[in-house]
Amino acid sequence: MITRHWRRRHNLYKLVGSRCRSCGRVFYPYSQRCIYCGSREVEQARLEGDARLVSYSIVYSVSDEAKYEAPVILGMVDIGGVKVIAELTDVSPGEVEAGMSLEPVLRRVTVNGESGLIYYAVKFRPRLGGSGSGGD
Amino acid sequence: MVGIIGVGMTRINRHYGKGLRELALEAASSAVEDAGVNGVDFIVVASSLSYKQVGQLDLAGHLASYLGYRGSRGIAVESGEASGLAGLMVAYGLLASGVADKVLLVGVDKLTEYNSGETYSHLEGLYDVEGDGFYNIGHAGIAGILMRLYMNEYGVDRLTMANWPALMHANAKVNPYAMLRFAITPEKAASAMPLADPITLMDSYPIGDGAAALVLARGDSGDVEVSRVESSTGYPSPAHRDDPLFIESLRDAVARIGLSREDLEKIDVMEIHDSFTITAYMILETLGLSDKGRAPRDVAEGRYNGGGAPVLNPSGGLKARGHPIGATGVYQLAELTLQLRGEFPGVRVDGAKRGLAISLNGFGSSSYVALLTAR
Ligand SMILES: [Zn+2]
Repeated sequence: MITRHWRRRHNLYKLVGSRCRSCGRVFYPYSQRCIYCGSREVEQARLEGDARLVSYSIVYSVSDEAKYEAPVILGMVDIGGVKVIAELTDVSPGEVEAGMSLEPVLRRVTVNGESGLIYYAVKFRPRLGGSGSGGD
Repeated sequence: MVGIIGVGMTRINRHYGKGLRELALEAASSAVEDAGVNGVDFIVVASSLSYKQVGQLDLAGHLASYLGYRGSRGIAVESGEASGLAGLMVAYGLLASGVADKVLLVGVDKLTEYNSGETYSHLEGLYDVEGDGFYNIGHAGIAGILMRLYMNEYGVDRLTMANWPALMHANAKVNPYAMLRFAITPEKAASAMPLADPITLMDSYPIGDGAAALVLARGDSGDVEVSRVESSTGYPSPAHRDDPLFIESLRDAVARIGLSREDLEKIDVMEIHDSFTITAYMILETLGLSDKGRAPRDVAEGRYNGGGAPVLNPSGGLKARGHPIGATGVYQLAELTLQLRGEFPGVRVDGAKRGLAISLNGFGSSSYVALLTAR
């Protein structure tokens, strides 16, 4: 878990996905092969643009590692036409609504009980008025 | 030709007093006795969560002695929730190619060795651990997202969604191998404790242990034939699909097995992978048995319990029979075999000739389909 997180830190901190030069699809997270057409012609692409909440769940049945974070608000977010699954933050269950505008922000995901290490990743929060600028 | 000549099942439950070995032995002994054979030359073990819960590796090697077959050939198969049908695919290949004459397929899993919080963490491994599974998705978070998406997309209310669990509990009530043998109303299912809102406790499979086994043989012995087993791999996440509610790997597995929508409508009985209420509806609409957004109403109108379409999950399904992850596919096959023999000890589909098992991991990272035919 510790090394996995370290390996993926750029992905997790900056929403680095993939753009396929063969079929043109963009997807998340980064993969060396295109998950749509199998091509090797894949380059890293940072996900940017307007983020909108497609759907969400208020998750109560979470792992022990996440029990102090419960309930977790898990969303399917469309960011510039690419869908990702990620946690929401800075919002209460009663305020969440499908279709709402969001912005990415770096937040704690879990605390590893044994090592005490804290893992960070991009979460999404409601866009704070105006044009907003993608929270990094 | 590959036939099923024996089946055995244990009741799914929180078997605190029984380990993986005891459960496997119980199911395997019934299957071997049912088949009336002395030995088998290959053991295929289907298991998934036990690698995290019990920690035993080389499961086939270690189980063989305990089952009384030391010296036979053995292999273990892990494909998450679809492990059982993946095990059938391996067994089928061994028999059809002439490598083996008789195969014992044992599906077995333990989910209750730890408290539920730890088990949820193990179950997160069914999803992409470097993608969606990096977040705190629990076992039901992705399902919750998909269920809300479905309800919003098609304007289906919470109570209408609950028709599925009500039907499954009605079926499981009379299945002696089912974990949850009690009826519930749609109202009760819709208002139960939330697990991953809008998913309640009654939209989800229960956490339980179990084992089921088959003896398969090359040639024309046995009342039931394995006509085909097929599969396809799919996207790591439903978020990768244009329509997250459509399971393309299932469509592809069904196409590979050579069944059109009209063929599917003529199947007598199906055991499908209703890990959650939403999974059942996604499967029905992916197969084209229900139009998009219609599955919950079709279920309410009785289409799938004797109303003309295939009878679905007379066992009670993953929802109420139970879902011991890697063993579930073998339960589906054992139940269908008993249906085709006219011997299922619960809701029986009279005169059934063709049965279909459908198993997924997650929401389709793998999809498996098996067609069984009465001889
Ligand atoms: Zn591509």
